[in-house]
Amino acid sequence: MGPQDAALTPRRWLGRLAARQRRLIGLSMGAGLCVGLATIVQMALIAGWLSALLVDDAEPAALAGLGVALIVVLALRAAAQWAQEVAGQEASLRIRQAARSELLAHIEALGPVRLGGRHSAALGGQLVEQVEALDGYFARFLPQLRLAVAIPAVIAVLVLWLDWLAAIFLLLAAPMIPLFMALVGIGAERLNRQQFAAVSRLAGHFLDRVRGITTLQLFNRAEQASAEVHAAADDYRRLSMRTLRLAFLSSAVLEFFAAVAIAVLAIYIGFGLLGYIDYGPSPQLTLFSGLLILLLAPEFFQPLRTLSQHYHDRAAALGAADALVALLNVPLAKGTARRQPSDGQSGVSLDGVSVTFAGRGRVLGPLDLTIAPGECVALVGPSGAGKSTLLQLIAGFVDSDTGRVTVPAGEVAWMDQRPLLIHGSLADNLRLAAPEASDADIERALEQAGLGELLTELPAGIDTALGERGAGLSGGQAQRLALARVFLSGASLVLLDEPTASVDDDTQMALIEALKALTAAGRTLVIATHHPALMGMAGRVVRLENGRRIDEVMP
Amino acid sequence: MSRLASIYRELRPWLKLLGRRRGRLALGALLMAITAFAGIGLLALSGWFITATALTGMLLAAGVAASLDVYVPGGGIRFFALTRTVARYLERVYNHDSVLRLLADLRGGMFRVLVRLDGQALSKRRASEWLNRLTADIDTLDSLYLRLLAPPLVALLAIAGLTLLIGVFLPWAGALAGGLLLGLWMLLTLGQARLGMAASQRRVASLDRLRSRAIEHVQGLAELSAYTSLAAHRRRLDEHQQALYADQRLLGRRAALGNALVGLGVGVTLLAVLWLASLAYAGGVLSGPLVVMMPLAVLALAETLGLLPSAFTQLGATRAAARRLNALGAAQGAIDDPKQPAALDSATPRLAFEAVSLRYPGALQPALEQVSLCLEAGQRLALLGASGAGKSSLAQLATRLIDPQVGRVTLDDQPLAELALHEVRGCVGLLTQQGELFDDSLAANLRLGAPQASDSQLWQALATVELEVWAQQAQGLATRVGEGGQQLSGGQARRLCLARLLLAEPRIVILDEPFAGLDAALAERIAARLDHWLAGRSLLLLCHQRQGQPLATLGVSDWTQLAAGRVVASKHT
Repeated sequence: MGPQDAALTPRRWLGRLAARQRRLIGLSMGAGLCVGLATIVQMALIAGWLSALLVDDAEPAALAGLGVALIVVLALRAAAQWAQEVAGQEASLRIRQAARSELLAHIEALGPVRLGGRHSAALGGQLVEQVEALDGYFARFLPQLRLAVAIPAVIAVLVLWLDWLAAIFLLLAAPMIPLFMALVGIGAERLNRQQFAAVSRLAGHFLDRVRGITTLQLFNRAEQASAEVHAAADDYRRLSMRTLRLAFLSSAVLEFFAAVAIAVLAIYIGFGLLGYIDYGPSPQLTLFSGLLILLLAPEFFQPLRTLSQHYHDRAAALGAADALVALLNVPLAKGTARRQPSDGQSGVSLDGVSVTFAGRGRVLGPLDLTIAPGECVALVGPSGAGKSTLLQLIAGFVDSDTGRVTVPAGEVAWMDQRPLLIHGSLADNLRLAAPEASDADIERALEQAGLGELLTELPAGIDTALGERGAGLSGGQAQRLALARVFLSGASLVLLDEPTASVDDDTQMALIEALKALTAAGRTLVIATHHPALMGMAGRVVRLENGRRIDEVMP
Repeated sequence: MSRLASIYRELRPWLKLLGRRRGRLALGALLMAITAFAGIGLLALSGWFITATALTGMLLAAGVAASLDVYVPGGGIRFFALTRTVARYLERVYNHDSVLRLLADLRGGMFRVLVRLDGQALSKRRASEWLNRLTADIDTLDSLYLRLLAPPLVALLAIAGLTLLIGVFLPWAGALAGGLLLGLWMLLTLGQARLGMAASQRRVASLDRLRSRAIEHVQGLAELSAYTSLAAHRRRLDEHQQALYADQRLLGRRAALGNALVGLGVGVTLLAVLWLASLAYAGGVLSGPLVVMMPLAVLALAETLGLLPSAFTQLGATRAAARRLNALGAAQGAIDDPKQPAALDSATPRLAFEAVSLRYPGALQPALEQVSLCLEAGQRLALLGASGAGKSSLAQLATRLIDPQVGRVTLDDQPLAELALHEVRGCVGLLTQQGELFDDSLAANLRLGAPQASDSQLWQALATVELEVWAQQAQGLATRVGEGGQQLSGGQARRLCLARLLLAEPRIVILDEPFAGLDAALAERIAARLDHWLAGRSLLLLCHQRQGQPLATLGVSDWTQLAAGRVVASKHT
């Protein structure tokens, strides 16, 4: 593994992932080769049996040995086939696990700010669907890729030894194998691309109508819209059938050669055995060699047909890798400023800091700010002035390019307009801030945040389950829950980004009272806000404009 | 057996849907069967031919006069080779066409179910991930035919054909082969389905859980890293991943077992047939070429049987998808049209809420409790309250997007549930807060309100909301609004929705925060035009507070204040 270079391509990433499970993928390939060899032996035993019976007039009882051998080979072949699939799957499971870890680690390292432009639900979906889309490539396609060359080669050599003229029939097809693969590949790739575009258009149409379903109901358009959904899906059918007719042709070519090869060989062998062909090795053909060649002919093409079936796995993996590598290529631009813990205190000191975002230039600084332990500072200014960025810098989500940042070591308490609500109980949600907290601690924190009344109404108390994204909680309740987290956490430094925006007046007043209690408890508060009451409770108001401090007012 | 019956019950609505295209699907299965038979024929006849030629060649070499017609079998071999290729190509094209037709049926049918759902059921399921899953479930079911119905049927036909082919020459060998292969078929379908049922049913749910944890992880990055609980949450995510992969591992291994079984079962059958045929040959009742033909025909069956194990191991996933969609169709949250609807007498009826209560499933507190409220014909009333106070719930009740759990909503004293749905919604118009627009042209979005409206009427409506100039500068009525109206600013989108409502000409107008995001001067101008249009209609205006609203211009002097689902104050003149 080399150093992580910026020019990570989807293919290179897939290669790197495969390299980590080289042994399992190798095992899968090895087992696949055993399947191929066992098949050859099986065919030889069948041909041998028939030849002994019909040509050498052997008694059926004398063939029992061959029968036992056939059973052994069949069992071996089944075992090898099982091992091939299981090893491939295990490799794929481990690789997907590793890929997801790598992506999560990268996302965590990027932090919330540099990810900002991306839709979090879409990104979460990517982490699941697109990583899962790598499955077939590692489990089936990669092992089959080598087998598609190796097994036909072994068969060709064997047939060459049996009858070189028959081998030539097979080998005539051999130079065409790369052509087949290209044909199938191009077909599959185009199929996949066009199909993907059409599918997402169709899905988009469907989602669009479902999202607007209330409007359709309100305007009495339900029946008409249902017919439209059907019509759109039918249009999609007509469109994709045009592509499919062509795409299926490429695999039909492969089928055609496989079928024709059997037919041609059967007829060649038949005429050879009749003695109609005097040329080359034909007079030496026997029932055994003839039958074996016939039985091996389909097996010569089988690995290629299997590969062509798995070709869409490759296209799907490349498509997914494309999107995932784009995420991995978002650089972890670390600032050059020194960041050091303040000595056991909760104070913050920023000396000559500045923050630059790619494409937006400098959004903060140069700026100095010292906040004493226990202080309550309000950051004010028009939107875009750099208030949030300043908070993010203190929290460590972004780095300063210059100067020195001194902040308390360990956790800080954080609260913004959209609190995180996880699928689980109220207690689970609070314990995000303090995993060791007792039930009593949690109840106290909820009371302090003004959720005591709600708690008494809930039969299950703090074990009440919240739905996904906090379904069941109103916006104000969600915000109070985030505040309860602040109370529960022992963090001495509390960072709040517009905590009262987008909640009703009652909640606003309750939040302000609670924040006063936090200050009284000796915590250090830094609040970005537009709210006059919050500015009023602050010990100091720092005004920002265009990323610079323009004013400092001591009320 | 009861398990089989319950699977059948769950799949029955979907099988019935397939039944509508019975002829098409039968033809598709026939093409599959032709492909399978041509494959068997090719290998069996080739084996027969080679052996016949070999034996004749040996006789000729020994100086015995012998002859063999090489042209009929040669032609047969070429025929089977060509038939197999052509039939497979046609089968794939034809069956994909069928599957896509089924997809269209399923999408249209599912949408018909969805448009009957009430606001509660829909709001619970609004998230786009849920919609994505719905589409995925539909896609799972459209493979019902191609993966789970046609292949086992064709395999059975092939087994029957093979039994016949062997049985004609050697009845007991045919019977034995048929019996063995039928047993194998049962193992590969019923057996595999049973092995994979539990784990494959969990598949979608485990994937959903992992997805929602992943979204939490990304969304909560700020809080999780501030509180240094990233690692703890990551452990939760990893647990879900472990559970998912444990199931996948199990399913993969069991499918592999089935795949290995195909080769083994076919091999054992081949050996049995070979043995019996050899004995018959030794006994002089079977010719050499036929001895060869029989095992080779068995061998060719492997391809047809090979499709079964992985499809049936995943049967549970199809079953779970069917069950989810069935539940959706049977949701109690459906709004039903009355069988014999009553009629409305007056043009502008009186709208009344009579002690209505409403509680959303899963909500910690009720949305409405014992609310009584009345909007007289021609009255203009402001409904005030913070978000979550219950205003939007009342609006949904008035348009019958929801039915109340307690109390009733009436138009001229007739309960809404006894009026035809189209009449209620034609009479009461609602501008929702979300203001949904469709990825279509401006004209198409406007004509949702009035399908027959002329272009000049559309332009007039646009003028009322001051979008006329903007539309002229864009591509006129053909301007695309983008997905969910993305191409428009928030304010433009709201005004477009308002124009659409104006075109629908409702008699009772409910506007939910119509002026949110508009500057005060524009709001006043639009309100003045609305005042004129509202003559003779009733108005229910939903807003946070009285301040900053053009209430005077709209002629609204009465108001009712809601808080936490209850009426707390009101002023009626």
